[in-house]
Amino acid sequence: MSKHILEVLVENSPGVLARVAGLFSRRAYNIDALTVGPTKDPAISKMQIDVDVEGHALEQVISQLDKLINVISIKEILPANVKPAPTDTQPDYQN
Amino acid sequence: MSKGQDITKNGTPMNGATSLVKSLEAAGVDVMFGIPGGAILPAYDPIFDSKIRHILVRHEQGAGHAATGYAQVSGRAGVCIATSGPGATNLVTPLADAAMDSVPLVAITGQVPSAAIGTDAFQEADIRGITMPFTKHNYLVTDPAEIPRAIAEAFHIATTGRPGPVLVDIAKDALQKETVFNWPESISLKGYQPKLQPNAQSISDAAALITQSHRPVFYVGGGIMKANASKELREIAELLGAPVVTTLMALGSFPHSHPLHMGMPGMHGSVAAVTTLQKSDLLITLGARFDDRVTGKLSTFAVNAKVIHCDVDPAEIGKNRFADVAVVGDLKHTLIALIPALKAALAKNRPDLSTWLRQVNNLKSTYPLGYDKPTDGSVSPQYVIERIGKLSAPDSIYVAGVGQHQMWAAQFVPYELPRTWLNSGGLGTMGYSVPAAMGAKVAAPDTTVWSIDGDGCFQMTNQELVTCALNNIPIKVAIINNESLGMVRQWQTLFYEGRYSNTNLESKRVPDFPKLADAMGCVGLSCDRPEDVDKTIEKALSINNQPVVVDFRVHRDAMVWPMVAAGTSNDDIMIAREMAPDWDSQEL
Ligand SMILES: Cc1ncc(C[n+]2csc(CCOP(=O)(O)OP(=O)(O)O)c2C)c(N)n1
Ligand SMILES: [Mg+2]
Repeated sequence: MSKHILEVLVENSPGVLARVAGLFSRRAYNIDALTVGPTKDPAISKMQIDVDVEGHALEQVISQLDKLINVISIKEILPANVKPAPTDTQPDYQN
Repeated sequence: MSKGQDITKNGTPMNGATSLVKSLEAAGVDVMFGIPGGAILPAYDPIFDSKIRHILVRHEQGAGHAATGYAQVSGRAGVCIATSGPGATNLVTPLADAAMDSVPLVAITGQVPSAAIGTDAFQEADIRGITMPFTKHNYLVTDPAEIPRAIAEAFHIATTGRPGPVLVDIAKDALQKETVFNWPESISLKGYQPKLQPNAQSISDAAALITQSHRPVFYVGGGIMKANASKELREIAELLGAPVVTTLMALGSFPHSHPLHMGMPGMHGSVAAVTTLQKSDLLITLGARFDDRVTGKLSTFAVNAKVIHCDVDPAEIGKNRFADVAVVGDLKHTLIALIPALKAALAKNRPDLSTWLRQVNNLKSTYPLGYDKPTDGSVSPQYVIERIGKLSAPDSIYVAGVGQHQMWAAQFVPYELPRTWLNSGGLGTMGYSVPAAMGAKVAAPDTTVWSIDGDGCFQMTNQELVTCALNNIPIKVAIINNESLGMVRQWQTLFYEGRYSNTNLESKRVPDFPKLADAMGCVGLSCDRPEDVDKTIEKALSINNQPVVVDFRVHRDAMVWPMVAAGTSNDDIMIAREMAPDWDSQEL
């Protein structure tokens, strides 16, 4: 069992929630919880998505989410007492 | 964004419909395929005056596939346009098709007036919602001022990074209202910055890994075509001297005649290509995506190989197969960086690939693609396709449908040039061929364009031959008429004890294809004897002022070989029914 919390900044455009929800559904990723709220910038909303995946699958979730044009950034939120797990996954050459 | 000569000045007042057409002109569109209807009707008035050529199709699916064929040949975005509701839903299949094969496409649809959206108004369909899963992005525009930006962004998104289809749905009132034309100077999308330049570290890691390999293979997919990187592919392949396999989407990116070419891998790939991948210790993956039709049972695919995965789409890395080295970037940029890095690395340490090359070449010469001639004097479908490939000019373009004929067209035409082979690889869309060939011919009017179609596929979209006849788009169609849904029938032969449930089309009885062709303003020909095949092809090649349809009445029981049955391992490739290659005689 592996829970991860993603903080996703999205453009506040119509349909953006459907885009994110649809992506999770069609790629068969499980969402445990999803909340959407405003940010200081009215053009940008913040989503918090709790997902139940790990390793490669988590990277896939993040890369697929990142392909949505309305998704601006994705950050994994780690609980205060947890250090990031050593990456045994894909080398990160993406940035 | 290409600039036409007389781009409308920003600040010019006009209605939304005119703004749409001016935007398409500003985006450099020269042709679009479509059908009008109520919601999109305002746009058709300024289209009437535009220098953009609008080709009136007979079905919106035809418009979508034509735009795809145009895009695949020209490398530019294809454009299709339809009305709301049924017009828009008829575009669903070509949009899904374009998404699977990464085709740059811009689809424009009319939507019911904004006040009526959500009321189940006449011809209302939530096309933005419907197409979300298989467009790269889509828009619903209700404010006329937004039209130019939406169009500019649509072309930008469709054609950059990993290409794909973008739909712009525009409410009718937005087309009718007055607005001011404002074409954006530049486009900046916070959430979309495709990474084109590969990371330097990944390039040196890739070069280093290559020099450690003794059995490398270039596994090349459709991405190479999108990046226009055939020249660089040839350069790096010859630099390393390693074998190359080109997937169904990459045929022509590396010359078929090249000694390093092992053919096409996959379910109906050559023994050499499939086995080269299987036995490799390093897959140098260029714009390919480890599709199940290539890998067979994934857990048994190339188990001893490390993977270098080069792709412009970061989400492809590690999706199906772990990558030891990931190189994210445009393939042309990637290869331009990798070639000198590899040269330098090889200068220090050049692995000896001679044993590997001898082994794979041995496979290639022992198991060439071939077929049995029917013994009853009937025409063999493979022979027809092979002869078309031989008798047509070397730059001819071939556009297949989906089924056995598609696989034979992939196997028996020797593709030497990029963008001469078009097919629906990812979605496997029957009905793709005729309209895509139409779009291909519009993009390359001076080139011979053959639709190699099945008798089943042809009956899905042949009405676009009317469009071809009326618009001087003289494509040539070879119907490989085996009077059945041949590919499905093949599976019934192999996996359902020959119980041919609903695969008999009886298309040697009905329809009469030459008559049908004639009725649609085309020349109809027919051929059912092996000795007439060449004559008939030459006749078809000699007619260039009208579309030509040839009904090649072929042997019905021919099967596509080799075959890796769905869900099985590539190691279990069959070269004929219940016949595996003689592995004992191979030193691999
Ligand atoms: C739209 C669509 N419907 C069904 C299929 C399933 N299918 C794949 S190949 C095939 C048979 C195609 O028949 P034909 O065009 O005659 O080609 P052949 O295999 O006989 O060469 C079918 C029905 C498909 N790929 N696409
Ligand atoms: Mg058939």
